[in-house]
Amino acid sequence: MSKYLDLGINEIHDLLVKKEITPVDLVNEVFDRIDLDKLNCFITTDKEGALKRAESLGEPDENNILWGLPIALKDNMVTTNMRTTAGSKMLENFVSVYDAHIVDLINENKMIIIGKTNMDEFAMGSSNQTSYFGPVRNPWNNSLVSGGSSGGSASSVSSRIVPFALGSDTGGSIRQPSSFCGIVGLKPTYGRVSRYGLIAFASSLDQIGPMTRNVFENASLLNILCKKDKRDLTHIGKEEDFTRLIGEPISGMKIAIPEFYISDVIDSQVLDKINDIRKLLEDNGATVETVKVPYIDYAVPLYQIIALGEASSNLARFDGIKYGYSAKNAKNIDEFYKKTRSEGFGDEVKRRIMVGSFMLSGKNVSEYYNKALKIRKSISNSFEEIFKEYDLVIGPTTTCLPYEIGEFLQDPNRSFVDDVLTIPVNMAGLPGMSVPIGFSKEHLPIGMQIIGNKWEEAVMYKLAAFIESKLSLDLVPGGDNNE
Amino acid sequence: MSNYKPTIGIEVHLELNTDAKVFSLSKNNYSDVANTNINEIDLAYPGVLPTFNKGVLDKALLACLGLNMNISRKMHFDRKNYYYPDLPKGYQITQFNTPIGLNGYLTLSTGKKVGISDIHIEEDTCKSLHHNGKTLLNYNRCGVPLIEIVSCADMNSKEEAMDYAERLRETLLYLGVSDCKIEEGSMRFDVNISVSKDDTLGVRSEIKNIGSISNIGDAIDYEVKRKIEALENGEELLFETRRFDSDTGKTIFMRTKDTNNDYRYFPEPDIPYIYLDEDDILSVKEKLVMLPKERREEYKKRSISNINIEKLIANKELSDYLNIFLDENIDFNIASNILLGDISSYLNKTRKSIFDTKLDKERFIIVVNALKAEEISSKIFKEILNSIMEDDALDLDSHKQVNSDEKIIEIVTKVINDYPDSVKDYKNGKDNAIKFLMGMCMKESGGKLNPKMVMDILQDFLNK
Repeated sequence: MSKYLDLGINEIHDLLVKKEITPVDLVNEVFDRIDLDKLNCFITTDKEGALKRAESLGEPDENNILWGLPIALKDNMVTTNMRTTAGSKMLENFVSVYDAHIVDLINENKMIIIGKTNMDEFAMGSSNQTSYFGPVRNPWNNSLVSGGSSGGSASSVSSRIVPFALGSDTGGSIRQPSSFCGIVGLKPTYGRVSRYGLIAFASSLDQIGPMTRNVFENASLLNILCKKDKRDLTHIGKEEDFTRLIGEPISGMKIAIPEFYISDVIDSQVLDKINDIRKLLEDNGATVETVKVPYIDYAVPLYQIIALGEASSNLARFDGIKYGYSAKNAKNIDEFYKKTRSEGFGDEVKRRIMVGSFMLSGKNVSEYYNKALKIRKSISNSFEEIFKEYDLVIGPTTTCLPYEIGEFLQDPNRSFVDDVLTIPVNMAGLPGMSVPIGFSKEHLPIGMQIIGNKWEEAVMYKLAAFIESKLSLDLVPGGDNNE
Repeated sequence: MSNYKPTIGIEVHLELNTDAKVFSLSKNNYSDVANTNINEIDLAYPGVLPTFNKGVLDKALLACLGLNMNISRKMHFDRKNYYYPDLPKGYQITQFNTPIGLNGYLTLSTGKKVGISDIHIEEDTCKSLHHNGKTLLNYNRCGVPLIEIVSCADMNSKEEAMDYAERLRETLLYLGVSDCKIEEGSMRFDVNISVSKDDTLGVRSEIKNIGSISNIGDAIDYEVKRKIEALENGEELLFETRRFDSDTGKTIFMRTKDTNNDYRYFPEPDIPYIYLDEDDILSVKEKLVMLPKERREEYKKRSISNINIEKLIANKELSDYLNIFLDENIDFNIASNILLGDISSYLNKTRKSIFDTKLDKERFIIVVNALKAEEISSKIFKEILNSIMEDDALDLDSHKQVNSDEKIIEIVTKVINDYPDSVKDYKNGKDNAIKFLMGMCMKESGGKLNPKMVMDILQDFLNK
């Protein structure tokens, strides 16, 4: 079997430009690998469509490093040529009448969408176990979770089925599975990438971002995702070359580690790796200081109020009338709603809709919701203060290592706890990324989180690329999937 | 029974006449073929986001300025969450916490001011059609921009309520923000009514979607009577929603409102805050026309009759035209008479706008002054109206009335000499004969003699 997909995109690009290979070869290789996939990465693939597109791309464009490369989309980004399920029975057979903005951008840039990746139902979960289409497995150990909610995207990139995937991140859904699967995942600044066509979970927190094998490829993909879209009023865009600082020295950089991020709730193996990185950075001329970031320890309860409140409203449109699952034999409209939503949604989604509805009901709006918005503002202010003095904030992406599939299923609070280190970033609208920094003694990947000031993704890529080049980790999983 | 006092407040939903809907680019034309003015946003497809039509903001602002509202400088939208088939997103985007306008008023014909507590922007729902036990949805109406205008409970009679509705409609029409067609649902009234013997407010009921202004009066009549009878019978009134049946003249119970609906309002995260500064407001203020109330006052000052004032208010184009002359010293009674009379008929017949005729400012002043000075008669005016409205050059001189004694005496003398028999008849007591002689004088002059002067001189001559 060909191994072009194990090459870096610069090398693949050279081969494409020299016409030693064609996009069709790449698509065929992707589908050869999908056929061997035991990880349940994809909900839907479209080999026929992808081959057709690969054949229609024409002459290679030497100025477009993404020309002819395959990409996978998390299945909450709507497409007209493939169903979009959001990992739910509710949308099991749903095909959109329009394409998401990022789909247009991918097409404009001559990439090839090969399928839609598995995810927690409506992105609600952090271990990809709430998907109607079954859990996604971790390429480093197939009995472990991939993390979530963008678990299929993380696993498909990690296992080298595709070089690129897009995920979405509301409270950590790009960064946490990226950490668990040993890849690079970035949640951009809120407003960087248009949300038009992303099935909303929590509108004020959701953001689409690139998930890739390495830092350069991540920045290269983000380069094409920011084009202005008037259809999203919260979208600002600001196109720039995110690769431009990669390779620059890091001496003189001021880096902060929040106390909260190195507390004893963090797994000691993770903490050890963070300390190694701290030393590495200091040895190379950066200053690293431990800081207090007031209010970030409130982020999880805030998330439960704000994200679930918004979700309860965003998911109200799935009523069985216009599209999606529709219950049969209801006697009246109230029963129709009840049956459709009881049968179409899974337990976690229903639980979150109920909690969210409760948070917005009657006096709870002022008791919880409005207070949460105020504290959210305080978290933003805390970070603002930090970024007056520091270039970047670092810490672990997750408190723990990937765990067994089936573990914690009876603990609905678990998925929020998983995201305790990632949620504050969404609350403040900041960019955050996870970059692999080593392995546990069980040889499971450990990720480090880099948090930047708003619109400073390029600075984050600089640090991430530096760490990546210093560590030179072998990030190709040796799990069952790759034999 | 008569010592009960009704208290009335009115909520109005007004469809704004923007080209596009409020949160999508679909055409704002509900009356087109059903479900043709729709897109993925109107259908609440997964992943869609609202855009915001700035035109809606301008029209809402204009309405606020016309109704003396305080304008919010910082506002956001809220989601009002409930499940109903006509609401595809499962929530309506509205302004719950920061309405665009607060604390304005509308002046009734009596001079009483009715408070308007708030005006907010929101979106209309689908139109449901119930047919053979099935419900059909027309999404053309979904997302049509609305403003809701909420009055204070300041009215105490059906006359006041109807006057409020009429004055409000007229004002909004003048502002040009809506076609205000009550029958077609672009202006919809919900009336809140309570009765009480003292200053405390009684239990109110809300009569939904009343279809005409006269129905507002009938609904209030019925509801006030119903409530008083119930109270007199010792019954307890409930806070309820009712509807008015125009066939029977009765209000009909729909539902009680004792359980307050929990709409789970929260700020719409998909639309950023909107900030208005002085310039934004000024640029809309420039579009503010003179409103009916002020027009009435101006016309009254210029001694235009009440009948003409109301006719002018009802014809905004002619009223706008007349307003060109407010700073001119002309006879406004003559001006309004010819505008509402012959000119109006001409415009109706030719289907023209007065602004598309040759009757410019200068010409109108010449014509009104000529009529005032009796240089032309109203009869002549009517005869030469087509020429006045259409010809490049105005020729009044050839039609001018002869007012000189000398010329009139000359013609009267000639007619008396020509028709001695008629003179004889008159002197023998046949009064009609003078009318014949009068007619002959006018004919002789081509109708240009001042008829009153002819009559005077003719009588003088005959009675000598």
